[in-house]
Amino acid sequence: MSEPIDLAIIGAGPAGMAAAALAAGHGLDVVVYDENQAPGGQIYRGFEAVAADRAADLDFLGDSYRAGLAIAHAFRASRARYQPSTSVWLIQKDRTIGISHAGRARMVEARRILIATGAMERPVPIPGWTLPGVMTVGAAQTALKAAGLVPRGPVVLGGKGPLLYQLAAQYLGAGVTIAAILETGARPLAALPHLVQAWWRTDYLEKGLALLRQIKNAGVTIIKNVSGLRAIGDGKLDAVEYRCGGTVQRIAAPLLLLHEGVIANVQLTMAIPAAHRWDEAQRCWHPVVDEYGDTDLEGIAVAGDGAGIGGAEAAASMGRLAALAAVHALGKISDGEFREIGYDLQRERRRYLAGRPFLDALYPPPAVAAALADDTLVCRCEEVSAGEIRRAVALGCTGPNQTKSFTRAGMGPCQGRMCGLTVAEVIADRLDRPMAEVGYYRIRPPIKPLTVGELAGLE
Amino acid sequence: MIERDILVLGGGLVGAAIGYGLQKRGLRIAVLDEGDVAHRASRGNFGLVWVQSKGDGFPPYADWARHAADVWPDFCTELEQRVGFKIGYQKRGGFSLCFSEKDFAARANLIKRMHNQQGPKGYDCEMMERARVEKMMPAIGPDVVGASFCPHDGHVNPLLLLRALHTALGVDYFNEHRASAIRARRGGFEVDAGAAVFAAGRVVLAAGLGNLPLARMLGAELPIRPQRGQILVTERLPAFLDFPMSGVRQTVEGTVMLGSSREEVGYDNSIKTDVLKTITRNAVRAFPLLARARILRAWGALRVLAPDEHPIYQTLGDHAHAIVATCHSGVSLAGAHSETFAGYLAQGGLPAHFAPFHSRRFDVQAAA
Repeated sequence: MSEPIDLAIIGAGPAGMAAAALAAGHGLDVVVYDENQAPGGQIYRGFEAVAADRAADLDFLGDSYRAGLAIAHAFRASRARYQPSTSVWLIQKDRTIGISHAGRARMVEARRILIATGAMERPVPIPGWTLPGVMTVGAAQTALKAAGLVPRGPVVLGGKGPLLYQLAAQYLGAGVTIAAILETGARPLAALPHLVQAWWRTDYLEKGLALLRQIKNAGVTIIKNVSGLRAIGDGKLDAVEYRCGGTVQRIAAPLLLLHEGVIANVQLTMAIPAAHRWDEAQRCWHPVVDEYGDTDLEGIAVAGDGAGIGGAEAAASMGRLAALAAVHALGKISDGEFREIGYDLQRERRRYLAGRPFLDALYPPPAVAAALADDTLVCRCEEVSAGEIRRAVALGCTGPNQTKSFTRAGMGPCQGRMCGLTVAEVIADRLDRPMAEVGYYRIRPPIKPLTVGELAGLE
Repeated sequence: MIERDILVLGGGLVGAAIGYGLQKRGLRIAVLDEGDVAHRASRGNFGLVWVQSKGDGFPPYADWARHAADVWPDFCTELEQRVGFKIGYQKRGGFSLCFSEKDFAARANLIKRMHNQQGPKGYDCEMMERARVEKMMPAIGPDVVGASFCPHDGHVNPLLLLRALHTALGVDYFNEHRASAIRARRGGFEVDAGAAVFAAGRVVLAAGLGNLPLARMLGAELPIRPQRGQILVTERLPAFLDFPMSGVRQTVEGTVMLGSSREEVGYDNSIKTDVLKTITRNAVRAFPLLARARILRAWGALRVLAPDEHPIYQTLGDHAHAIVATCHSGVSLAGAHSETFAGYLAQGGLPAHFAPFHSRRFDVQAAA
């Protein structure tokens, strides 16, 4: 292994890019490992290609996408080294990192590590969600950003949250027919108390309202307070069934896009493992971090949505804060400079986060566990149903790990990303225990694809 | 107070198998287990039901391991019928591969020694030249010069075995009831576990490394220690391997387990990349096609080892009704624990021929 890197950053979304630019600007040797082929993360995916080749697409991708370009350009202009198509499959407490690129694995060492692996969509198990023709809103948006791909047939969107309306607006801009938006229980009244605080983010609110207006003006059917979503079809999706106002309805559609908000992607921090806490408002696990993103592990920090959902701008602020802490820890700035710059960044971050409680209350995570039918698949990889999880609980399983070893739920290629929360929710519901007590899977490396041959040839 | 005939402390493979055997014999039992994230050898192990090389220099263990392999098929059939699902057991024999003439000679020497040791009881393990090995396992790599083969070896899905035992135990299995105190009282023991108190005439200590603190509660010290083994499992592959071996086995589901490291690192069950590299290099050398397989998980687990690596079965000091069962072969010995060991306990206690398994064997060695 060669000389340790000053700061290794995992992920090149807003947090990773902003952190890299700041740290490199203060003279740190920075390397950014990114599993994508180009920087941008999920939210600014493919920004360079879009700006260069598909500038017209910027119109329907919207202002927030354009805003990310500034962060991205600053990152590209910095001295930070960028390693695309490189996955991180292991981080150990001693800050050695296992990476894989082009079929070769090697270990690198870093003085500081910043994990900026962002968010993932909350998995939404509904009957039939494994049918071809059922996807997530996020996956559809990735296809749109990365390759300009849009569906042909009429689309049904099911669920709730900002991303769902954003995609709807983007689809309308791209000429896609939306058969209906089936909204699952947004709660404007519950969100009202948070509106005052959210007023700091009038830009956010205006953007949201403008999106909704645009969708309504286009004549899209929005059905509110939907429950019992079900994907119907034989071999592929034919129709979407839902319950509303006491009756069951059906819409024919070849494509259903689901979305129930986003959650922190904690696969990497769980695998080390860093300490985590259960966040009741966002109903997911978050790494325990301080205001600079530092975890309980020396020299390992998390910034961005991976530490709790806050959106792209807040992620960039937190990335800068974490980078600043690294710059300070490695002696490149004085205590005074650290406090001064840190204070400004903290204030900026608080302003960006002001709208978050409003959004959390407006789009509460669904309470899925009790309503899950026994035959609905929970673990897609190993095809384990909710009923099998319940039988494991009846057998004496009180946590996801014993349940995993008894049912194989969470043992497939996705490493439990798709089923971890649902399995724990089902256990918590059955035993009537808080999620914090039920716990989560013990995540095992490698957390990204790695072959036996790569490991055998480890450098 | 919950009263039973026998309390089994530990709900891993050893405790669950003994509990299942006692329950089948009509005893009133309770199996007390720790919660979701205990150090669990039962959840982390490799899944071999193994005979070859077990009990080198210690005939009682060689006999016991062979007996365990002999009773496994019937034990398995009955258990599967009882719970209504298969646990992935196969008994076609198992290999130990040799990668050099020197390896081969050393292995042949061990096999001969074991053969002589076991004498007329039969050992049935043989050395095979490469050509014969290749016939049985066409996927072997060019570096394999030969192997030892034992027809009594087999393998099983250890997680399904544990699930089956827990299923069979039913209401007698108490999860999240870690024994936190044991008190000897007239005619037996009281055990605090979780929020409950259990009482019984006898207790069986079968909690793996957890037996150390449990034995101390009764004033005894057990000579066992953790030894880390690291294991990897791959994605499902088309069936290419009909036989298990130490280090590589393909499960009934198609995944391939790789392992067999040994490290003395105390209670640290983390993974180390240099060890995983050695494991995967050996695996690719044995079966080159494995190089392309994707790894799904890697983990460390702790073996429960006595100084000579053989099991310890004994009563504990002054407490004739506190029985210790501790070993690192909870899978291999599951059938023997359920069918034979539990039978001894049901009939009154450990038989005279189990005396060699007492941990006093280490005192003798130290004195000599």
